[in-house]
Amino acid sequence: MPVWQHIYEELNDPNFVIISAAQDTGGEAVVGPIFDAANTTYIQIVDTNHTISSVFNFLNVPCAAWVDETGKIVRIDEGTYAKVHHFGGNDVYAPALIDWVKNGTQSEFVQNADTVTKNIRSLSFDELKAEAAFRLGNFFREHGYNEEAEQYWQQARSLNPDSVNYYRQNLTLSEEGSAGESFRKMMTTYAEEGKDYYRPLNLEE
Amino acid sequence: MTEAIMAHPALRHPFEKTSINDTGATVLASGKTIKLAQSLVDGNLWVTPEDLTRINGFELKPQGACYQELCIPIKEDSELLRQVSEQRWFNLTAFADLLEQPYVADTENRIWSFAQAPAKRSDMMADAMAPDFELTDRQGKVVRMSDFKGKKALIITWSSW
Repeated sequence: MPVWQHIYEELNDPNFVIISAAQDTGGEAVVGPIFDAANTTYIQIVDTNHTISSVFNFLNVPCAAWVDETGKIVRIDEGTYAKVHHFGGNDVYAPALIDWVKNGTQSEFVQNADTVTKNIRSLSFDELKAEAAFRLGNFFREHGYNEEAEQYWQQARSLNPDSVNYYRQNLTLSEEGSAGESFRKMMTTYAEEGKDYYRPLNLEE
Repeated sequence: MTEAIMAHPALRHPFEKTSINDTGATVLASGKTIKLAQSLVDGNLWVTPEDLTRINGFELKPQGACYQELCIPIKEDSELLRQVSEQRWFNLTAFADLLEQPYVADTENRIWSFAQAPAKRSDMMADAMAPDFELTDRQGKVVRMSDFKGKKALIITWSSW
């Protein structure tokens, strides 16, 4: 997160905004201190229900979209690690972003509408329904109804077994946490089955 | 593999149990929680026209239920719209079925959770137009995608887990 703050300050462009949405059912208690520690001055949202991931059909967290002055998306659904990361991360994304903010439509990293729409995941009925079930589970959890929460989170998992987000968010309730043995097992299965954990980043596209 | 990152301890503590619905019903939609002071439940969830707009932005007009340019024709006295005494009722769940919008209901606790309506995202799928959303930021200010016309925006997600 300090990377984005650094870019935001460096660009210092009144016509560039960053909207950072924490996809975290733990809410302000969990993500607030992280936002604060980074001294973030851009727009910060505690998005307990993963609404941003949902409306943009993002595959995973972290992910990003670039939206131009006319409201058109010019890049979407890419993992945004600014430094080398285990799961296909990169250190080319941040410079590409800066290039776009400075050069706008002239930037080589701007994609046309055809490429963007091709890169937007389409969701099946069941995958959409999984979002509704996940949201219902969160609501129960916020009200202390843990059995019901678990029931609807499980339903979300059944409806969309490939969702990394539901699985890992659910694991945050377990003793092992979201990056323990169960998570590593899931990653191994993903690799064996050739599934994407993030949509591959292709800046030449 | 590096050492596992553990979840924040606060996540593992159950939230305090609080009442869900003293009266009425609750709808979860578009990232919002909407409490309904009045509703009818007969296997479907019927809401007032005012609540319809609060829930999903659709407004009842002479030409039908409309959201921006999109209008779905609705007949009076149909399975979607009826009048009981002086009150008009709109069948929210049948409307969702019509729009192929999935939802999950917990009727025991009178909560209905709706997924995004695919029809409201057709602009994004066809022309790469950013979908609108409405969320509240940490300062309590309402943030909408449409607020940023004329600016470039980086929309970024992250999580602690």
